[in-house]
Amino acid sequence: MDRALRRKLTNGIFVGACGLATFIALAALVLILWSLVKEGVGGIDANIFTMTQPAPGSPGGLKNAITGSILMCAGGMAIAIVVGILAGTWLAEYGGQTPYGHAVRFLNDVLLSAPSILIGLFVYEIMVAHLFGHFSGYAGALALALLAVPIVTRTTEDMLALQPNTLREAGMALGAGRGFVIRSIIWKAASAGLLTGGLLGFARISGETAPLLFTSLGNQFFSLNMAQPMASLPTTIFQFALSAYDDWRRLAWVGALLIAVAVLAVNTIGRLLARETHRP
Amino acid sequence: MNDIATPISPASPNIAASTEAPIMTRPTGELVLEARNLDFSYGKTQSLFGVDLPVERNRITALIGPSGCGKSTLLRALNRIYDMYPGQHATGRILLNSEDILSDRGSLARLKARDGDVELNESGLDTSALRARIGMVFQKPTPFPMSIYDNVAFGVRLHQKKSKAEMDVIVERSLKRAALWDEVKDKLSASGLGLSGGQQQRLCVARGIAVEPEVLLLDEPASALDPVSTAKLEATLMELKKDFTIVIVTHNLQQAARISDHTGFMFLGKMIEFRPTAELFERPQSPRTRDYVTGRFG
Ligand SMILES: Nc1ncnc2c1ncn2[C@@H]1O[C@H](COP(=O)(O)OP(=O)(O)O)[C@@H](O)[C@H]1O
Ligand SMILES: [Mg+2]
Repeated sequence: MDRALRRKLTNGIFVGACGLATFIALAALVLILWSLVKEGVGGIDANIFTMTQPAPGSPGGLKNAITGSILMCAGGMAIAIVVGILAGTWLAEYGGQTPYGHAVRFLNDVLLSAPSILIGLFVYEIMVAHLFGHFSGYAGALALALLAVPIVTRTTEDMLALQPNTLREAGMALGAGRGFVIRSIIWKAASAGLLTGGLLGFARISGETAPLLFTSLGNQFFSLNMAQPMASLPTTIFQFALSAYDDWRRLAWVGALLIAVAVLAVNTIGRLLARETHRP
Repeated sequence: MNDIATPISPASPNIAASTEAPIMTRPTGELVLEARNLDFSYGKTQSLFGVDLPVERNRITALIGPSGCGKSTLLRALNRIYDMYPGQHATGRILLNSEDILSDRGSLARLKARDGDVELNESGLDTSALRARIGMVFQKPTPFPMSIYDNVAFGVRLHQKKSKAEMDVIVERSLKRAALWDEVKDKLSASGLGLSGGQQQRLCVARGIAVEPEVLLLDEPASALDPVSTAKLEATLMELKKDFTIVIVTHNLQQAARISDHTGFMFLGKMIEFRPTAELFERPQSPRTRDYVTGRFG
Protein backbone atom coordinates (compact mmCIF):
# COMPACT_ATOMS: atom_id res chain seq x y z
CA MET A 1 0.00 0.00 0.00
CA ASP A 2 1.47 3.37 -0.82
CA ARG A 3 2.11 5.94 1.89
CA ALA A 4 -0.39 8.59 0.91
CA LEU A 5 -3.19 6.05 0.92
CA ARG A 6 -2.13 4.62 4.27
CA ARG A 7 -1.98 8.09 5.76
CA LYS A 8 -5.43 8.85 4.42
CA LEU A 9 -6.76 5.62 5.88
CA THR A 10 -5.32 6.10 9.39
CA ASN A 11 -6.52 9.67 9.31
CA GLY A 12 -10.01 8.52 8.36
CA ILE A 13 -10.08 5.89 11.09
CA PHE A 14 -8.92 8.39 13.69
CA VAL A 15 -11.42 11.08 12.72
CA GLY A 16 -14.13 8.43 12.64
CA ALA A 17 -13.24 7.24 16.17
CA CYS A 18 -13.32 10.81 17.43
CA GLY A 19 -16.68 11.39 15.83
CA LEU A 20 -18.09 8.16 17.30
CA ALA A 21 -16.86 9.02 20.78
CA THR A 22 -18.39 12.49 20.54
CA PHE A 23 -21.65 10.95 19.41
CA ILE A 24 -21.71 8.50 22.35
CA ALA A 25 -21.02 11.26 24.86
CA LEU A 26 -23.62 13.56 23.33
CA ALA A 27 -26.19 10.78 23.04
CA ALA A 28 -25.78 9.94 26.72
CA LEU A 29 -26.22 13.60 27.65
CA VAL A 30 -29.30 13.99 25.47
CA LEU A 31 -30.82 10.80 26.85
CA ILE A 32 -30.29 11.96 30.43
CA LEU A 33 -31.78 15.38 29.77
CA TRP A 34 -34.63 13.89 27.81
CA SER A 35 -35.61 11.44 30.53
CA LEU A 36 -35.27 14.24 33.12
CA VAL A 37 -37.65 16.44 31.18
CA LYS A 38 -40.02 13.62 30.28
CA GLU A 39 -40.34 12.30 33.83
CA GLY A 40 -39.94 15.61 35.62
CA VAL A 41 -42.14 18.07 33.76
CA GLY A 42 -45.21 15.89 34.17
CA GLY A 43 -44.79 15.89 37.94
CA ILE A 44 -44.66 19.66 38.35
CA ASP A 45 -47.74 21.17 39.96
CA ALA A 46 -48.46 24.08 42.28
CA ASN A 47 -47.85 21.89 45.33
CA ILE A 48 -44.13 21.46 44.53
CA PHE A 49 -43.24 24.89 45.84
CA THR A 50 -45.92 25.26 48.52
CA MET A 51 -46.07 21.93 50.34
CA THR A 52 -43.51 19.93 52.22
CA GLN A 53 -42.71 16.33 51.50
CA PRO A 54 -45.71 14.05 51.93
CA ALA A 55 -46.32 10.68 53.48
CA PRO A 56 -46.68 8.12 50.70
CA GLY A 57 -50.07 8.44 49.08
CA SER A 58 -50.92 11.97 50.26
CA PRO A 59 -50.37 15.18 48.31
CA GLY A 60 -47.15 17.09 48.90
CA GLY A 61 -44.24 19.01 47.40
CA LEU A 62 -40.58 19.83 47.82
CA LYS A 63 -40.78 23.16 49.66
CA ASN A 64 -38.62 21.97 52.58
CA ALA A 65 -35.99 20.46 50.27
CA ILE A 66 -35.86 23.48 47.97
CA THR A 67 -35.38 26.00 50.80
CA GLY A 68 -32.83 23.75 52.49
CA SER A 69 -30.82 23.43 49.28
CA ILE A 70 -30.93 27.17 48.64
CA LEU A 71 -29.82 28.01 52.18
CA MET A 72 -26.97 25.48 52.30
CA CYS A 73 -25.74 26.21 48.76
CA ALA A 74 -25.82 29.95 49.43
CA GLY A 75 -23.99 29.51 52.73
CA GLY A 76 -21.45 27.18 51.18
CA MET A 77 -20.83 29.48 48.21
CA ALA A 78 -20.47 32.53 50.46
CA ILE A 79 -17.69 30.79 52.39
CA ALA A 80 -16.14 29.32 49.24
CA ILE A 81 -16.03 32.62 47.37
CA VAL A 82 -14.43 34.55 50.22
CA VAL A 83 -11.87 31.86 51.09
CA GLY A 84 -11.26 30.77 47.49
CA ILE A 85 -10.73 34.24 46.03
CA LEU A 86 -8.43 35.28 48.87
CA ALA A 87 -6.44 32.05 48.68
CA GLY A 88 -6.22 32.19 44.88
CA THR A 89 -5.13 35.82 45.04
CA TRP A 90 -2.44 34.97 47.56
CA LEU A 91 -1.17 32.16 45.32
CA ALA A 92 -1.14 34.30 42.18
CA GLU A 93 0.07 37.61 43.60
CA TYR A 94 2.07 36.97 46.74
CA GLY A 95 3.33 33.63 47.96
CA GLY A 96 2.71 31.28 45.03
CA GLN A 97 6.40 30.72 44.33
CA THR A 98 7.49 30.11 47.91
CA PRO A 99 7.79 26.53 49.24
CA TYR A 100 4.71 27.15 51.36
CA GLY A 101 2.90 28.40 48.26
CA HIS A 102 3.80 25.25 46.33
CA ALA A 103 2.56 23.13 49.24
CA VAL A 104 -0.73 25.03 49.36
CA ARG A 105 -1.24 24.64 45.61
CA PHE A 106 -0.51 20.92 45.77
CA LEU A 107 -2.91 20.34 48.66
CA ASN A 108 -5.55 22.41 46.90
CA ASP A 109 -5.21 20.20 43.83
CA VAL A 110 -5.57 17.14 46.03
CA LEU A 111 -8.73 18.59 47.57
CA LEU A 112 -9.99 19.37 44.08
CA SER A 113 -10.28 15.69 43.35
CA ALA A 114 -11.06 14.43 46.86
CA PRO A 115 -14.14 12.17 46.95
CA SER A 116 -17.02 14.19 48.37
CA ILE A 117 -17.92 11.42 50.80
CA LEU A 118 -14.57 11.99 52.52
CA ILE A 119 -15.36 15.66 52.94
CA GLY A 120 -18.73 14.67 54.38
CA LEU A 121 -17.12 12.30 56.88
CA PHE A 122 -14.60 14.96 57.87
CA VAL A 123 -17.28 17.53 58.62
CA TYR A 124 -19.35 14.84 60.35
CA GLU A 125 -16.49 14.07 62.70
CA ILE A 126 -15.86 17.70 63.54
CA MET A 127 -19.25 19.35 63.59
CA VAL A 128 -21.82 16.60 63.96
CA ALA A 129 -20.00 14.22 66.29
CA HIS A 130 -18.22 16.82 68.40
CA LEU A 131 -19.11 20.49 68.01
CA PHE A 132 -22.93 20.35 67.71
CA GLY A 133 -23.65 16.79 68.71
CA HIS A 134 -26.32 16.54 66.02
CA PHE A 135 -26.89 17.04 62.28
CA SER A 136 -27.33 20.63 61.11
CA GLY A 137 -27.67 22.91 58.11
CA TYR A 138 -24.44 24.64 59.11
CA ALA A 139 -22.54 21.36 58.85
CA GLY A 140 -24.09 20.84 55.39
CA ALA A 141 -23.07 24.33 54.26
CA LEU A 142 -19.54 23.78 55.53
CA ALA A 143 -19.22 20.47 53.69
CA LEU A 144 -20.42 22.11 50.46
CA ALA A 145 -18.02 25.01 51.03
CA LEU A 146 -15.07 22.63 51.40
CA LEU A 147 -16.01 21.09 48.05
CA ALA A 148 -16.23 24.45 46.27
CA VAL A 149 -13.21 26.19 47.83
CA PRO A 150 -10.55 24.34 45.81
CA ILE A 151 -12.37 25.06 42.55
CA VAL A 152 -12.70 28.77 43.29
CA THR A 153 -9.09 28.94 44.51
CA ARG A 154 -7.72 27.26 41.42
CA THR A 155 -9.77 29.30 38.97
CA THR A 156 -8.93 32.53 40.76
CA GLU A 157 -5.21 31.81 40.63
CA ASP A 158 -5.33 30.90 36.94
CA MET A 159 -7.38 33.95 36.01
CA LEU A 160 -5.19 36.40 37.92
CA ALA A 161 -2.06 34.86 36.43
CA LEU A 162 -3.47 35.70 32.98
CA GLN A 163 -3.49 39.43 33.74
CA PRO A 164 -0.44 41.15 32.22
CA ASN A 165 2.26 42.38 34.59
CA THR A 166 2.32 45.77 32.92
CA LEU A 167 -1.19 46.36 34.28
CA ARG A 168 0.11 45.89 37.82
CA GLU A 169 3.14 48.06 37.07
CA ALA A 170 0.96 50.77 35.56
CA GLY A 171 -1.05 50.94 38.78
CA MET A 172 2.04 51.00 40.94
CA ALA A 173 3.69 53.59 38.69
CA LEU A 174 0.92 55.98 39.74
CA GLY A 175 1.86 55.42 43.37
CA ALA A 176 -0.72 52.78 44.33
CA GLY A 177 0.27 50.02 46.72
CA ARG A 178 0.33 46.40 45.65
CA GLY A 179 -2.83 45.43 47.53
CA PHE A 180 -4.76 48.39 46.18
CA VAL A 181 -3.73 47.57 42.62
CA ILE A 182 -4.97 44.01 43.05
CA ARG A 183 -8.30 45.03 44.57
CA SER A 184 -9.11 47.93 42.27
CA ILE A 185 -7.53 46.88 38.96
CA ILE A 186 -6.59 43.22 38.78
CA TRP A 187 -9.77 41.78 40.31
CA LYS A 188 -11.80 44.00 38.01
CA ALA A 189 -9.83 42.97 34.95
CA ALA A 190 -10.31 39.31 35.90
CA SER A 191 -13.92 39.63 37.06
CA ALA A 192 -15.39 37.41 34.35
CA GLY A 193 -12.87 34.70 35.24
CA LEU A 194 -13.55 35.00 38.96
CA LEU A 195 -17.27 34.67 38.25
CA THR A 196 -16.57 31.53 36.22
CA GLY A 197 -14.81 30.06 39.24
CA GLY A 198 -17.87 30.72 41.37
CA LEU A 199 -20.17 29.17 38.78
CA LEU A 200 -18.00 26.06 38.50
CA GLY A 201 -18.02 25.75 42.27
CA PHE A 202 -21.80 26.08 42.38
CA ALA A 203 -22.25 23.50 39.64
CA ARG A 204 -20.08 21.12 41.62
CA ILE A 205 -21.98 21.39 44.90
CA SER A 206 -25.55 21.77 43.69
CA GLY A 207 -26.10 18.06 43.21
CA GLU A 208 -23.87 16.66 45.96
CA THR A 209 -25.66 14.06 48.06
CA ALA A 210 -23.11 12.07 50.03
CA PRO A 211 -21.64 14.94 52.09
CA LEU A 212 -25.13 16.16 52.99
CA LEU A 213 -26.24 12.73 54.19
CA PHE A 214 -23.47 12.89 56.79
CA THR A 215 -23.98 16.49 57.80
CA SER A 216 -27.44 17.98 57.33
CA LEU A 217 -29.12 14.56 57.14
CA GLY A 218 -32.55 15.74 56.00
CA ASN A 219 -35.74 17.04 57.54
CA GLN A 220 -39.27 16.19 56.53
CA PHE A 221 -40.57 19.50 57.86
CA PHE A 222 -40.07 23.01 56.57
CA SER A 223 -37.27 24.73 58.52
CA LEU A 224 -35.14 27.83 58.17
CA ASN A 225 -33.06 27.02 61.22
CA MET A 226 -29.60 26.05 60.02
CA ALA A 227 -28.60 24.88 63.49
CA GLN A 228 -31.00 21.96 63.07
CA PRO A 229 -31.11 19.10 60.56
CA MET A 230 -32.12 20.42 57.17
CA ALA A 231 -33.74 18.98 54.09
CA SER A 232 -32.13 19.28 50.66
CA LEU A 233 -33.03 18.30 47.13
CA PRO A 234 -30.26 15.73 46.63
CA THR A 235 -30.95 13.83 49.86
CA THR A 236 -34.69 13.93 49.19
CA ILE A 237 -34.11 12.59 45.69
CA PHE A 238 -31.91 9.87 47.15
CA GLN A 239 -34.60 8.86 49.65
CA PHE A 240 -37.56 9.11 47.25
CA ALA A 241 -36.00 7.60 44.18
CA LEU A 242 -35.15 4.41 46.05
CA SER A 243 -38.63 4.14 47.56
CA ALA A 244 -41.39 1.83 46.36
CA TYR A 245 -44.00 4.60 46.08
CA ASP A 246 -44.88 6.03 42.70
CA ASP A 247 -45.70 9.53 44.00
CA TRP A 248 -42.35 9.71 45.84
CA ARG A 249 -40.49 8.65 42.73
CA ARG A 250 -42.38 11.30 40.75
CA LEU A 251 -41.18 13.95 43.25
CA ALA A 252 -37.61 12.65 42.92
CA TRP A 253 -37.74 13.29 39.17
CA VAL A 254 -39.08 16.78 39.72
CA GLY A 255 -36.28 17.48 42.21
CA ALA A 256 -33.65 16.31 39.74
CA LEU A 257 -35.14 18.51 37.04
CA LEU A 258 -35.12 21.49 39.41
CA ILE A 259 -31.41 21.05 40.12
CA ALA A 260 -30.59 20.82 36.43
CA VAL A 261 -32.64 23.93 35.67
CA ALA A 262 -31.06 25.84 38.56
CA VAL A 263 -27.51 25.05 37.40
CA LEU A 264 -28.42 26.01 33.85
CA ALA A 265 -30.08 29.26 34.94
CA VAL A 266 -27.26 30.33 37.26
CA ASN A 267 -24.68 29.62 34.56
CA THR A 268 -26.61 31.48 31.88
CA ILE A 269 -27.20 34.52 34.09
CA GLY A 270 -23.54 34.50 35.13
CA ARG A 271 -22.32 34.43 31.55
CA LEU A 272 -24.67 37.22 30.55
CA LEU A 273 -23.51 39.33 33.49
CA ALA A 274 -19.87 38.70 32.64
CA ARG A 275 -20.43 39.71 29.05
CA GLU A 276 -22.35 42.82 30.10
CA THR A 277 -19.70 44.10 32.51
CA HIS A 278 -16.90 43.30 30.09
CA ARG A 279 -18.33 44.94 27.03
CA PRO A 280 -15.73 47.63 26.27
CA MET B 1 32.81 74.13 30.11
CA ASN B 2 29.50 72.41 30.36
CA ASP B 3 28.68 72.25 26.67
CA ILE B 4 31.97 70.67 25.66
CA ALA B 5 31.99 66.93 25.45
CA THR B 6 33.99 65.85 28.45
CA PRO B 7 34.84 62.20 28.77
CA ILE B 8 34.41 61.12 32.37
CA SER B 9 37.23 58.97 33.58
CA PRO B 10 36.10 55.52 34.62
CA ALA B 11 36.16 54.67 38.29
CA SER B 12 34.35 51.38 38.76
CA PRO B 13 35.99 48.14 37.72
CA ASN B 14 33.04 47.48 35.39
CA ILE B 15 33.76 50.53 33.38
CA ALA B 16 37.52 50.14 33.56
CA ALA B 17 37.06 46.86 31.73
CA SER B 18 35.62 48.71 28.76
CA THR B 19 37.91 50.60 26.48
CA GLU B 20 35.58 53.53 25.90
CA ALA B 21 34.70 56.20 28.41
CA PRO B 22 31.21 57.69 27.92
CA ILE B 23 31.04 60.85 25.88
CA MET B 24 28.85 63.24 27.86
CA THR B 25 27.71 66.77 27.16
CA ARG B 26 25.85 67.83 30.25
CA PRO B 27 22.81 70.04 29.61
CA THR B 28 23.32 73.67 30.51
CA GLY B 29 19.91 74.12 32.13
CA GLU B 30 18.58 72.99 35.48
CA LEU B 31 18.50 69.24 35.98
CA VAL B 32 15.28 67.85 37.39
CA LEU B 33 16.36 64.22 37.45
CA GLU B 34 19.78 62.67 37.31
CA ALA B 35 21.24 59.19 37.45
CA ARG B 36 24.88 58.88 38.44
CA ASN B 37 27.00 55.81 38.09
CA LEU B 38 23.93 53.60 38.15
CA ASP B 39 24.32 49.82 38.24
CA PHE B 40 21.31 47.56 37.92
CA SER B 41 20.93 43.80 38.27
CA TYR B 42 18.15 41.36 37.57
CA GLY B 43 19.14 38.82 40.19
CA LYS B 44 22.61 37.72 39.17
CA THR B 45 22.70 39.25 35.69
CA GLN B 46 23.84 42.84 35.65
CA SER B 47 22.10 44.96 33.03
CA LEU B 48 23.35 48.52 33.67
CA PHE B 49 26.98 49.43 34.24
CA GLY B 50 27.76 52.84 35.71
CA VAL B 51 25.16 54.72 33.70
CA ASP B 52 24.93 58.52 33.92
CA LEU B 53 21.80 60.31 32.75
CA PRO B 54 21.21 64.02 33.27
CA VAL B 55 17.62 65.10 32.55
CA GLU B 56 17.03 68.78 31.93
CA ARG B 57 13.78 70.42 33.07
CA ASN B 58 11.12 71.09 30.41
CA ARG B 59 13.04 69.25 27.76
CA ILE B 60 12.56 65.94 26.01
CA THR B 61 15.37 63.49 26.60
CA ALA B 62 15.47 60.49 24.27
CA LEU B 63 17.17 57.15 24.90
CA ILE B 64 18.15 55.12 21.87
CA GLY B 65 20.11 51.93 21.32
CA PRO B 66 19.70 48.37 20.10
CA SER B 67 17.26 45.97 21.80
CA GLY B 68 18.45 44.67 25.12
CA CYS B 69 20.91 47.50 25.75
CA GLY B 70 19.14 48.51 28.96
CA LYS B 71 16.91 51.45 27.98
CA SER B 72 13.81 50.05 29.67
CA THR B 73 15.88 48.97 32.64
CA LEU B 74 17.15 52.52 33.07
CA LEU B 75 13.61 53.94 33.00
CA ARG B 76 12.40 51.32 35.48
CA ALA B 77 15.21 52.27 37.81
CA LEU B 78 14.36 55.97 37.68
CA ASN B 79 10.92 55.63 39.29
CA ARG B 80 11.94 52.55 41.28
CA ILE B 81 9.20 50.39 39.81
CA TYR B 82 11.68 47.50 40.08
CA ASP B 83 11.14 47.66 43.86
CA MET B 84 8.16 45.34 43.46
CA TYR B 85 10.43 42.49 42.33
CA PRO B 86 12.56 41.16 45.19
CA GLY B 87 15.48 39.95 43.05
CA GLN B 88 16.12 43.24 41.23
CA HIS B 89 18.25 45.99 42.66
CA ALA B 90 20.08 49.15 41.74
CA THR B 91 23.11 50.86 43.21
CA GLY B 92 24.48 54.27 42.45
CA ARG B 93 22.74 57.58 42.82
CA ILE B 94 19.47 58.96 41.53
CA LEU B 95 18.67 62.57 42.27
CA LEU B 96 15.32 64.30 41.93
CA ASN B 97 15.75 68.06 42.25
CA SER B 98 19.19 67.42 43.73
CA GLU B 99 17.73 65.22 46.44
CA ASP B 100 18.76 61.59 46.67
CA ILE B 101 15.98 59.12 45.93
CA LEU B 102 18.44 56.24 45.64
CA SER B 103 21.82 56.04 47.26
CA ASP B 104 24.05 53.67 49.15
CA ARG B 105 27.32 54.03 51.01
CA GLY B 106 29.32 51.86 48.60
CA SER B 107 28.46 53.90 45.53
CA LEU B 108 29.08 57.15 47.38
CA ALA B 109 32.69 56.12 47.87
CA ARG B 110 32.96 55.28 44.17
CA LEU B 111 31.34 58.57 43.18
CA LYS B 112 33.68 60.48 45.47
CA ALA B 113 36.66 58.97 43.70
CA ARG B 114 35.17 59.88 40.34
CA ASP B 115 33.44 63.24 40.73
CA GLY B 116 35.27 64.71 43.70
CA ASP B 117 33.33 65.74 46.75
CA VAL B 118 29.81 64.32 47.02
CA GLU B 119 27.28 65.11 49.66
CA LEU B 120 24.27 62.99 50.46
CA ASN B 121 20.95 64.84 50.53
CA GLU B 122 18.23 62.30 51.31
CA SER B 123 14.84 63.30 49.93
CA GLY B 124 12.74 61.29 52.38
CA LEU B 125 10.05 60.60 49.76
CA ASP B 126 8.41 57.19 50.05
CA THR B 127 7.98 55.23 46.81
CA SER B 128 4.32 56.17 46.48
CA ALA B 129 5.05 59.90 46.69
CA LEU B 130 8.06 59.43 44.45
CA ARG B 131 5.98 57.79 41.73
CA ALA B 132 3.47 60.63 41.92
CA ARG B 133 6.34 62.88 40.84
CA ILE B 134 7.82 60.56 38.21
CA GLY B 135 5.06 59.13 36.01
CA MET B 136 5.43 56.29 33.52
CA VAL B 137 3.77 55.22 30.27
CA PHE B 138 4.43 51.73 28.99
CA GLN B 139 5.05 50.25 25.57
CA LYS B 140 1.70 48.47 25.40
CA PRO B 141 -1.23 50.69 26.32
CA THR B 142 -2.43 49.78 29.81
CA PRO B 143 -5.91 51.24 30.29
CA PHE B 144 -7.49 50.06 33.52
CA PRO B 145 -10.79 48.12 33.28
CA MET B 146 -12.89 51.13 34.26
CA SER B 147 -14.39 54.22 32.68
CA ILE B 148 -12.28 56.81 30.85
CA TYR B 149 -13.06 59.27 33.65
CA ASP B 150 -12.00 56.85 36.38
CA ASN B 151 -8.82 55.99 34.49
CA VAL B 152 -7.73 59.61 34.56
CA ALA B 153 -8.91 60.15 38.13
CA PHE B 154 -7.25 56.98 39.44
CA GLY B 155 -3.88 58.45 40.37
CA VAL B 156 -5.30 61.72 41.66
CA ARG B 157 -7.62 59.87 44.04
CA LEU B 158 -4.64 58.00 45.46
CA HIS B 159 -2.91 61.14 46.57
CA GLN B 160 -5.53 63.83 47.10
CA LYS B 161 -9.08 64.21 48.27
CA LYS B 162 -10.95 66.18 45.62
CA SER B 163 -14.56 67.20 45.23
CA LYS B 164 -16.47 66.00 42.18
CA ALA B 165 -16.27 69.46 40.61
CA GLU B 166 -12.52 69.72 41.18
CA MET B 167 -12.03 66.24 39.77
CA ASP B 168 -14.08 67.12 36.68
CA VAL B 169 -11.72 70.03 36.05
CA ILE B 170 -8.63 67.85 36.49
CA VAL B 171 -9.96 65.13 34.19
CA GLU B 172 -10.90 67.61 31.49
CA ARG B 173 -7.58 69.46 31.69
CA SER B 174 -5.56 66.22 31.59
CA LEU B 175 -7.48 64.86 28.62
CA LYS B 176 -7.09 68.17 26.80
CA ARG B 177 -3.35 68.22 27.43
CA ALA B 178 -3.11 64.68 26.13
CA ALA B 179 -5.07 65.76 23.02
CA LEU B 180 -7.79 63.22 23.70
CA TRP B 181 -10.58 65.44 25.03
CA ASP B 182 -12.37 66.08 21.73
CA GLU B 183 -12.53 62.38 20.96
CA VAL B 184 -13.88 61.25 24.33
CA LYS B 185 -15.72 64.20 25.88
CA ASP B 186 -19.12 62.66 25.10
CA LYS B 187 -18.30 59.21 26.49
CA LEU B 188 -16.32 59.77 29.67
CA SER B 189 -18.25 57.02 31.41
CA ALA B 190 -17.52 54.47 28.67
CA SER B 191 -14.85 51.88 29.38
CA GLY B 192 -11.27 52.87 28.59
CA LEU B 193 -10.84 49.42 27.01
CA GLY B 194 -13.11 50.44 24.13
CA LEU B 195 -10.73 53.06 22.76
CA SER B 196 -8.36 52.49 19.84
CA GLY B 197 -4.71 51.72 20.56
CA GLY B 198 -3.58 55.29 19.93
CA GLN B 199 -6.39 56.69 22.06
CA GLN B 200 -5.59 54.22 24.83
CA GLN B 201 -1.97 55.36 24.82
CA ARG B 202 -3.01 59.02 25.06
CA LEU B 203 -5.40 58.01 27.85
CA CYS B 204 -2.40 56.56 29.68
CA VAL B 205 -0.54 59.84 29.11
CA ALA B 206 -3.54 61.76 30.48
CA ARG B 207 -3.67 59.44 33.47
CA GLY B 208 0.03 59.96 34.08
CA ILE B 209 -0.05 63.76 33.90
CA ALA B 210 -3.28 64.10 35.94
CA VAL B 211 -1.21 63.75 39.11
CA GLU B 212 1.04 66.61 37.89
CA PRO B 213 4.33 64.73 37.97
CA GLU B 214 7.55 66.57 37.30
CA VAL B 215 8.89 63.92 34.97
CA LEU B 216 7.07 61.61 32.60
CA LEU B 217 8.91 58.45 31.53
CA LEU B 218 7.73 56.82 28.30
CA ASP B 219 8.98 53.42 27.18
CA GLU B 220 8.55 53.06 23.41
CA PRO B 221 5.07 54.57 23.66
CA ALA B 222 4.49 54.59 19.91
CA SER B 223 5.79 51.16 18.99
CA ALA B 224 2.31 49.64 18.94
CA LEU B 225 0.72 52.56 17.10
CA ASP B 226 0.02 53.35 13.46
CA PRO B 227 1.74 56.39 11.84
CA VAL B 228 -1.22 58.75 12.32
CA SER B 229 -1.55 57.91 16.02
CA THR B 230 2.22 58.19 16.37
CA ALA B 231 2.22 61.68 14.87
CA LYS B 232 -0.57 62.70 17.25
CA LEU B 233 1.31 61.33 20.23
CA GLU B 234 4.49 63.14 19.20
CA ALA B 235 2.64 66.43 18.84
CA THR B 236 1.16 65.84 22.30
CA LEU B 237 4.59 65.27 23.81
CA MET B 238 6.03 68.42 22.18
CA GLU B 239 3.15 70.37 23.70
CA LEU B 240 3.58 68.72 27.10
CA LYS B 241 7.21 69.70 27.53
CA LYS B 242 6.06 73.21 28.44
CA ASP B 243 4.74 71.82 31.72
CA PHE B 244 6.60 68.59 32.19
CA THR B 245 9.96 67.00 31.65
CA ILE B 246 9.92 63.98 29.39
CA VAL B 247 12.22 61.01 29.04
CA ILE B 248 11.32 58.79 26.11
CA VAL B 249 12.77 55.49 25.01
CA THR B 250 12.36 54.92 21.31
CA HIS B 251 13.67 52.54 18.68
CA ASN B 252 12.63 55.04 16.04
CA LEU B 253 15.62 57.28 15.30
CA GLN B 254 13.62 59.77 13.26
CA GLN B 255 11.30 60.12 16.21
CA ALA B 256 14.17 60.85 18.58
CA ALA B 257 15.61 63.36 16.12
CA ARG B 258 12.23 65.04 15.59
CA ILE B 259 11.10 65.57 19.14
CA SER B 260 14.00 65.38 21.57
CA ASP B 261 16.43 68.00 22.86
CA HIS B 262 18.99 65.59 24.27
CA THR B 263 19.69 62.05 23.21
CA GLY B 264 21.54 59.28 24.97
CA PHE B 265 22.86 56.31 23.01
CA MET B 266 23.16 53.15 25.06
CA PHE B 267 24.92 49.94 24.22
CA LEU B 268 25.30 46.75 26.26
CA GLY B 269 24.15 48.39 29.48
CA LYS B 270 26.35 51.45 29.18
CA MET B 271 25.73 55.05 28.22
CA ILE B 272 28.00 55.48 25.24
CA GLU B 273 27.21 59.03 24.21
CA PHE B 274 24.89 61.66 25.65
CA ARG B 275 24.63 64.98 23.80
CA PRO B 276 22.22 67.51 22.36
CA THR B 277 20.12 65.67 19.80
CA ALA B 278 21.22 67.55 16.69
CA GLU B 279 24.91 67.12 17.54
CA LEU B 280 24.56 63.45 18.32
CA PHE B 281 22.82 62.71 15.04
CA GLU B 282 24.92 64.98 12.85
CA ARG B 283 28.35 64.54 14.41
CA PRO B 284 28.38 61.39 16.49
CA GLN B 285 31.72 61.04 18.23
CA SER B 286 31.76 57.41 19.22
CA PRO B 287 32.17 54.96 16.32
CA ARG B 288 29.40 52.84 17.84
CA THR B 289 27.00 55.78 17.87
CA ARG B 290 27.95 56.61 14.31
CA ASP B 291 27.26 53.06 13.17
CA TYR B 292 23.93 53.01 14.94
CA VAL B 293 22.55 56.37 13.80
CA THR B 294 23.65 55.80 10.22
CA GLY B 295 21.96 52.40 10.23
CA ARG B 296 25.15 50.44 9.80
CA PHE B 297 24.52 48.54 12.95
CA GLY B 298 25.07 44.78 12.88
N1 LIG C 1 12.93 40.75 34.00
C1 LIG C 1 14.20 40.52 33.58
N2 LIG C 1 14.91 39.50 34.12
C2 LIG C 1 16.17 39.26 33.71
N3 LIG C 1 16.80 39.96 32.76
C3 LIG C 1 16.15 40.98 32.18
C4 LIG C 1 14.80 41.30 32.55
N4 LIG C 1 14.39 42.35 31.80
C5 LIG C 1 15.44 42.66 31.00
N5 LIG C 1 16.50 41.84 31.22
C6 LIG C 1 17.80 41.90 30.56
O1 LIG C 1 18.36 43.16 30.77
C7 LIG C 1 18.95 43.64 29.57
C8 LIG C 1 18.37 44.99 29.22
O2 LIG C 1 17.02 44.83 28.88
P1 LIG C 1 16.06 46.04 28.56
O3 LIG C 1 16.29 47.12 29.54
O4 LIG C 1 14.68 45.52 28.47
O5 LIG C 1 16.57 46.49 27.13
P2 LIG C 1 15.91 47.49 26.08
O6 LIG C 1 14.72 48.12 26.71
O7 LIG C 1 17.00 48.46 25.77
O8 LIG C 1 15.57 46.69 24.88
C9 LIG C 1 18.70 42.58 28.52
O9 LIG C 1 19.89 41.84 28.38
C10 LIG C 1 17.63 41.73 29.07
O10 LIG C 1 17.80 40.39 28.70
MG1 LIG D 1 12.68 47.98 26.16
